[in-house]
Amino acid sequence: MAQHGGGEEIPPGKPMSAKEHIIEKGASMMQSLKPIEQMNQHVCTFAIYSHDMTRQIETHHYVSRINEDVLQCAVYDSDESNARLIGVEYIVSDKLFETLPLEEQKLWHSHAYEIKSGLWVNPRVPEMILTPELKSLSKTYGKFWCTWQTDRGDKLPMGPPSLMVSPQGVNMGMVKPELILNRDHKYNISSEALKTSRVELPEPEWLNPQADYWKQHGKGFAVDIAPAEMKKITAFP
Amino acid sequence: MASSDSVAGAMPPGDGSVPPGKSMTVGQTIIDSTAHIVQSLNPIKNMKKHVCTFAIYSHDMRRQIQVHHYASRLSQDFLQCTVYDSDESDARLIGVEYIISQRVFDTLQPEEQKLWHSHGYEVTRGLWVNPGVPEMIQKPELKNIAQTYGKFWCTWQVDRGDQLPMGAPALMVSPQGVNQGMVKEDMIRARDEKYKISCEELAKSREGIVVPETTNPFSDYWMTTQKGFAVDVLPTEMKTTTALP
Repeated sequence: MAQHGGGEEIPPGKPMSAKEHIIEKGASMMQSLKPIEQMNQHVCTFAIYSHDMTRQIETHHYVSRINEDVLQCAVYDSDESNARLIGVEYIVSDKLFETLPLEEQKLWHSHAYEIKSGLWVNPRVPEMILTPELKSLSKTYGKFWCTWQTDRGDKLPMGPPSLMVSPQGVNMGMVKPELILNRDHKYNISSEALKTSRVELPEPEWLNPQADYWKQHGKGFAVDIAPAEMKKITAFP
Repeated sequence: MASSDSVAGAMPPGDGSVPPGKSMTVGQTIIDSTAHIVQSLNPIKNMKKHVCTFAIYSHDMRRQIQVHHYASRLSQDFLQCTVYDSDESDARLIGVEYIISQRVFDTLQPEEQKLWHSHGYEVTRGLWVNPGVPEMIQKPELKNIAQTYGKFWCTWQVDRGDQLPMGAPALMVSPQGVNQGMVKEDMIRARDEKYKISCEELAKSREGIVVPETTNPFSDYWMTTQKGFAVDVLPTEMKTTTALP
């Protein structure tokens, strides 16, 4: 059970005992875990809270490609085995994005900037192998719900999910240099060098103005939960 | 766009596949395989348990779904799960559930506790199962889970036909032994048939499992208040940093 800043455990709880580990391992050998086996790509990038863009986080996406146009990702706050599951991101092609209703498009963000600027990386995968994938990903849009705000020290997932947005080349979309340096140091890479090598990557011809809503409108999105009268079924006898 | 909208906005056109989209090219499969070999994927390897159970939409309890949790235990008091709509390789990732012990649940504020649900009923009634794992091996874990609380956000409402994830996340609640908490018989039967199990037999074998003694007034909030939770996402003024030069 790793300690995270200040000696507090996040989440709380004693580590599993050796016996518990053995039982767990035994049970896992009896099960098929097909959906999990589809998550075969690790992406490290950055994301920003839509309702408070002063808060930026390093994220670790474990990506599963459903088809040529859709990917789904379990998002963690590190690449360690005790990483906290902090949310879910869906990624769709520009073609599919255009079919979404306008109100829905506002909840999505573009990826072109973070890929071209070398923020989005697949640790340890040679850039050359990645290039075709990066070409198609740079034209995609993502929708990312953060369900556990570990960056503000929450020991447990609290409150409603937060909508996240992607790094962009302006204002509050610019990722803090120390965050980038820290990440680059960990993986022994240089985002600057990647940016240079990705210069040839084509820019999307057009970015839908509904996406990255904050850029045009200066507004983020806050998620609200409110008690509601439940829909009832027909009365019981 | 609220999670509680009864129908999502207009659906993307296409061949009706969910989600829409062409199958992968050979090139993409090669990339995926390569990445798989050179990357460590540690957090994923920690997801060692498959659980099949049922969940209900908090804002509309007529809507019940079969769910597949892939759980990762971070401590004796905490599990985190990616939730899917099936156990197949083309399963859709429909949300996230966190599971905590009674001890940890008691440390939460009442306002937070309202978003959580108890697991005692679904475990003792044989709704919660670990497919493929003999009951005897599951027992210690089941005893643990029966005393836990969960918080489950559904981010893709596949059951209402959404071809892509639409709107705000929905808060889910767990099956309970009363009213709208009762899982529909045909759903249970379909699941049991798939895994060649019997919910009733499991319930019998689990009779000895202890559930929390006192009912917390805030978890399973709908049971005491007849109110669910609707989630909405609204534009808001952003916090800004100090003025840029």
